[in-house]
Amino acid sequence: MNAMLRETETDTASPLAARGLAHCYEGIDVLCGVDLVLEPGSVLGLIGRNGAGKSTLIRAMLGLLAPLAGEARVFGEPALKLSDDAKARLAYVPQQPEALAWLNAVQMLDFVGRFYPRWDKAFAKNTLERWQIPPNKLLAKLSPGERQRVDLIRALASQPELLVLDEPAAALDPVARRELLREIALRAGESGTTVLFSSHIVSDLERAASEVAFLHQGKLLMRCSVDETKERYARLWLPARMSAAAPNASLSRRRHEDGSLSLVVERDAQGQWPQAAQLAGARVDALGLEDLFVELAE
Amino acid sequence: MDASLLNIQPGASEPIYRQIVEQLRRLIAGGQLTHGELLPSVREVAGFHAINPMTVSRAYGIAESEGLVERLRGKGMAVIALRKAAQSESQRLALLEPQLEALARHARELELPAAPVLRRLTRLLGD
Repeated sequence: MNAMLRETETDTASPLAARGLAHCYEGIDVLCGVDLVLEPGSVLGLIGRNGAGKSTLIRAMLGLLAPLAGEARVFGEPALKLSDDAKARLAYVPQQPEALAWLNAVQMLDFVGRFYPRWDKAFAKNTLERWQIPPNKLLAKLSPGERQRVDLIRALASQPELLVLDEPAAALDPVARRELLREIALRAGESGTTVLFSSHIVSDLERAASEVAFLHQGKLLMRCSVDETKERYARLWLPARMSAAAPNASLSRRRHEDGSLSLVVERDAQGQWPQAAQLAGARVDALGLEDLFVELAE
Repeated sequence: MDASLLNIQPGASEPIYRQIVEQLRRLIAGGQLTHGELLPSVREVAGFHAINPMTVSRAYGIAESEGLVERLRGKGMAVIALRKAAQSESQRLALLEPQLEALARHARELELPAAPVLRRLTRLLGD
């Protein structure tokens, strides 16, 4: 009972919280009981392969789809019944924005800007030029990448307290991507904006994110600070003759053709690797986030 | 010091905050950063490299606790560069730690016992 009370309290204080979200499409499970609570001012990067359920999770967390089970809250309000006030403090950029396609970029930004109390008009105008958006073309005629860039400008110019971006990197060239990451990182650090963004470009997450969550086949495999991920996990490689010594507790286990084993292992409470790491011939390799992701998702 | 002097590799297995501390340590030990020189602000480093400001703050906090820099009120972080002789032996030894760890790892991979490795190292050091 107390635990439940505490959960409810943290969910009310959190800008974005999900408990036990489950969903399926045509009988296939897409989300299998996902819990995810964001701290105010944190930048959470959501990693997962294509089809892992990232977009579904994001949409369910924001109340854009009704999950089969579980509950999501935005600023403490039930996501499916958000007040206008909560909506004005939130900005979401989907992978394929479709709204207001009959306007051009300048008209659209002028129009939506009126609904946001903290609209940054100068930012919208400058970024539109820097990101090379044709100002007079109807949104419907823009390429998918240009369309998403316009929507990113809309989201950032509204100066939201909660910013949710679904695969923003796909639409941007490396220079603009770096600029977006800079905006994300600085706004989180200075204005306390809470950010959730999904990507399969892992190096983007490593720069700007404070935390990372791995979504795999509808389940959260791991959720951890980016620094801790790198310090707490490693790959333990054991030659075939020593594979019997492999620790039972490992996050993933792959046997190679020659019988050798690769395991993702975790430091114990004293900061030590499992005992097998000390054996002669065993190797412990530090893992970057991308390697860790590949090891876990394969 | 300019923020561009730092080289950040987000994909490396070493966390970004440790990359920053390590580079500050080397730049100071190598004399590229001199006593009293100001570090770029957290915002400048985070903005230039598009990294999370908390990561930079954490690195600066560690550099401060290690005595590499000091916080000057209203100015930011300033380098404390001690003359080499003034650095304690353990501080100078700490600079070798990454290379020593790599050496130990290679020795284990080659299944070499410690004694011959240490004998060879002692010879190389000329003692």
